Amino acid sequence: MLVIIFRRLGQSILVLFIVALISFLIFRYVGNPVDNLMGQEATLAQRAALIEALGLNDPFYKQYFNFIWKALQFDFGNSYRGALPVSELIASRLPATIELAVTSAFFALVLGVIIGIYTAINRGGYIANLILSTSLIGVSLPTFLIGVLLIWLFAVELKWLPSFGRGDVVQLGWWSTGFLTISGIKSLVLPSITLGLYQLTLIMRLTRSEMLEVMRQDYVRFAKALGLSSKQVNFNHALPNTLVPVITIAGLQLGSIVAFAIITETVFQWPGVGLLFINAVYFVDIPVMSAYLLLVGVLFVIINLIVDLLYLAIDPRLRDSNSSE
Amino acid sequence: MDDNLLEVRNISVTFKNRYGTLKALDNLSLNVKKGEILGLVGESGAGKSMTGAAILGLIDPPGHMSSGEIWYKGKCINDAHEAIRGREISMIFQDPLMSLNPLRRIGDQLLETILTHMNVTKSEAIKRARKGLEEVGIDPNRLNSYPHTFSGGMRQRVVIALALAPEPSLIIADEPTTALDVSVQAQILDLLKNLCKERGTSIILVTHDMGVIAQTTDRVGVLYAGRLAEIGDTREVLTNPKHPYTKGLVDSTPRIDANSFYKELYQISGTMPKLDAMPNGCAFHPRCEFAIDKCSKETPQVFSDRAACWLLENEAIVE
Amino acid sequence: MERFFKSDFFYDFLRAPVAIISFCVVALLVLSAIFAQFIAPTNPFDPASLELMNGFTPPMEPNMFTGDVFLLGADDQGRDLFSAILYGLRISLFVGIMAVSLAMVMGVLLGLIAGYVGGWLDNLIMRLADIQMTFPSILIAMLIFGVARGLLPPELRYEMAITVLIISIGLSEWVPFARTVRGTTMVEKEKEYVAAAQLIGLKRWQIMIRHILPNVLGPVLVIATITFALAIIAEASLSFLGVGAPRTEPSLGTLIRVGQDFLFSGEWWILLFPALTLLALALAVNLLGDWLRDTLNPRLK
Repeated sequence: MLVIIFRRLGQSILVLFIVALISFLIFRYVGNPVDNLMGQEATLAQRAALIEALGLNDPFYKQYFNFIWKALQFDFGNSYRGALPVSELIASRLPATIELAVTSAFFALVLGVIIGIYTAINRGGYIANLILSTSLIGVSLPTFLIGVLLIWLFAVELKWLPSFGRGDVVQLGWWSTGFLTISGIKSLVLPSITLGLYQLTLIMRLTRSEMLEVMRQDYVRFAKALGLSSKQVNFNHALPNTLVPVITIAGLQLGSIVAFAIITETVFQWPGVGLLFINAVYFVDIPVMSAYLLLVGVLFVIINLIVDLLYLAIDPRLRDSNSSE
Repeated sequence: MDDNLLEVRNISVTFKNRYGTLKALDNLSLNVKKGEILGLVGESGAGKSMTGAAILGLIDPPGHMSSGEIWYKGKCINDAHEAIRGREISMIFQDPLMSLNPLRRIGDQLLETILTHMNVTKSEAIKRARKGLEEVGIDPNRLNSYPHTFSGGMRQRVVIALALAPEPSLIIADEPTTALDVSVQAQILDLLKNLCKERGTSIILVTHDMGVIAQTTDRVGVLYAGRLAEIGDTREVLTNPKHPYTKGLVDSTPRIDANSFYKELYQISGTMPKLDAMPNGCAFHPRCEFAIDKCSKETPQVFSDRAACWLLENEAIVE
Repeated sequence: MERFFKSDFFYDFLRAPVAIISFCVVALLVLSAIFAQFIAPTNPFDPASLELMNGFTPPMEPNMFTGDVFLLGADDQGRDLFSAILYGLRISLFVGIMAVSLAMVMGVLLGLIAGYVGGWLDNLIMRLADIQMTFPSILIAMLIFGVARGLLPPELRYEMAITVLIISIGLSEWVPFARTVRGTTMVEKEKEYVAAAQLIGLKRWQIMIRHILPNVLGPVLVIATITFALAIIAEASLSFLGVGAPRTEPSLGTLIRVGQDFLFSGEWWILLFPALTLLALALAVNLLGDWLRDTLNPRLK
């Protein structure tokens, strides 16, 4: 089994390097760093000096490794807009995105699994079918549309919840949290639902289809034939086997939550790294773009790795490379 | 019929599809006595597995038992399937790999079954589980192993141990050896036979292998297209088949005795009809070399408690 | 054609009210978009036809200054929302179809090559696919869009927006096509008709295109429908974020973005009608794709 783990690790590191390469290529070759940092009026001499200082004349691989080395120290240079260090920008906005992502993921996973199980066990029931039909809407609705419609309903018409921002946050050292204030929590509601709704419907439908598939398996029929109660059959046999693929796919979905956070943050003007990124795209702020991509890339690779390892831990069949038959 | 453990009375299993209503089982009746091994033989799709499923109430929708009754120990159990599963009637399936939950140790699965059906303490249950494994020839210390660590034959032994754990009076074995190597088949069949004779447990042995029927069963029922063709004492039926289909089956079984070398293999011409294209009258008549006019018009009933064939009408006293 | 109408597929279609309704909705929207010029009362993008005084007119009420009536109201610049939606629909559908076509062509080609030629080329393509699949496609689309924007001089950014949009979405969705086609190709490759074609001396690309390709088109159709729905949503999202179709050539997403600004000041219609249109389109295409996938899946029968 150690062999398998090491191989996976090796793959991950390779992908990390490729992600870093792409990030570096963007950083270095898209747009002109000198123009952006100096403006049009700089003299040739000043430009030459800057080029030297930035190491832009060094051989390719040297620049690449320089980039990685600096990245490991969280140094991405300064943003083109406002000349703040990129790492500071990202660090200040990271807590907002993480809190949002975690809340949505939790909401989506827990509710999704519960509803999924319910619709699988009560297949053909009236409520189950109703849920299924409405779930299709959840999958088809673009995230931003959900957000906008939620704002219209709850913020404009009913005036129950705020329509933008994080509310009051409490600073805990480097981290700023919205969980400790009422306005903070209120502000979290609509964005979390928006972000999590797609995941919710996905997980729900996945759980349902996996469970239905599992319930058709021989070992479930055998358990029934042995006289085990429905409760036992469903929860001791069907459920664990269902949850394995569900949790792994849900884990992979964590990645897309980060991506869709960009949209949600834009809709609600949530001050997270997603909003930072989209502004960077709009204003062609290369260092921020490239740093965000590297960050997100690393995150995804790590998530994928963890999910693969989790699979190994849960399914005993995968552990032995030699199992009989 | 007092020593009948189980009586299947005129059951039909139907399901609807786009083309209409199809009968997977048509007015089927049979019985199982205490302590006997009844074989159920027929081609794929003849309804053998469906019979077992019907007895335990495990028919997958959209199919359902549309008529008839199942009587067990003198009581009708049409609505009482859950009470009898495991405790009274058990079932084992064809593919041992898929019958065991891959994520759980076999010890857990054994304990679960024992504790569900018997009022014993956990330590007592563990003792029984170990004994159960011993009886099927598996090292009791392997309670903590996962299913995938066993070979096919051993897995089927585990399955048998599981099926016997609640001490049922009847086991339905649905093609238990089809997925196993020939050398292992004999062992498993022997094991099943011996364990059941010891306990007086009856078995319904579903198979398509005539050799297995000959060597293992006391009585045998032959199914064709969802209907009973013939039923009776195994030796009788195989040496002196009354139904043309049974005769065809027996004749077309490959043999390894001195008389059979280099002889051509007999085949019954044609194939079993599909459920949506059933012939009128007797289901077998288009392929039957003895068919008479009546066979294409009316479905025969079972004559002499033996075979459903119009040819027997004159020889028999109609029930 | 007649075989189609007698087929199981068509039978199942007629039996599924969901499929029929979705199909009709999609057809309706597509036709409206195609014939937008004839249906729309005004051309919303002709600056000359705009009357600023018409701005913020609610639906079906005459404007207090000019007396014009707008079916679905007018936006902040006096544009007829109904016309804007029709034209916006056009752009949304255009981008969606073009993006899917790009993804399909690219994916199918790469899949054919990977499956048929095999070897290191196959490995390379599949590795690329794996890496791309670790990231959500919308992120990739944003990335490509951002890079393209960065590479283009500022003057061209506006004009090329739609093209860049198509390319980014298209490039982000090729993988499902490639993977499926590769799988089927690898299976078909072993069959006799391929060996026969090789014996006759047909070149590899001829075999791939003329013989194997027709056999892999079934699943490709299902993927195309689903990808189409994804592309429409991706386009709408990107436009909403401001990095897609610009205000001068707005798609439904852009219109919704504009509408959101006016939510609090009470001009709800500027948001709601484009939103509902998008909702109807996305839902219908998704339902259709879902049903298609279920029907064409032999395993569930």
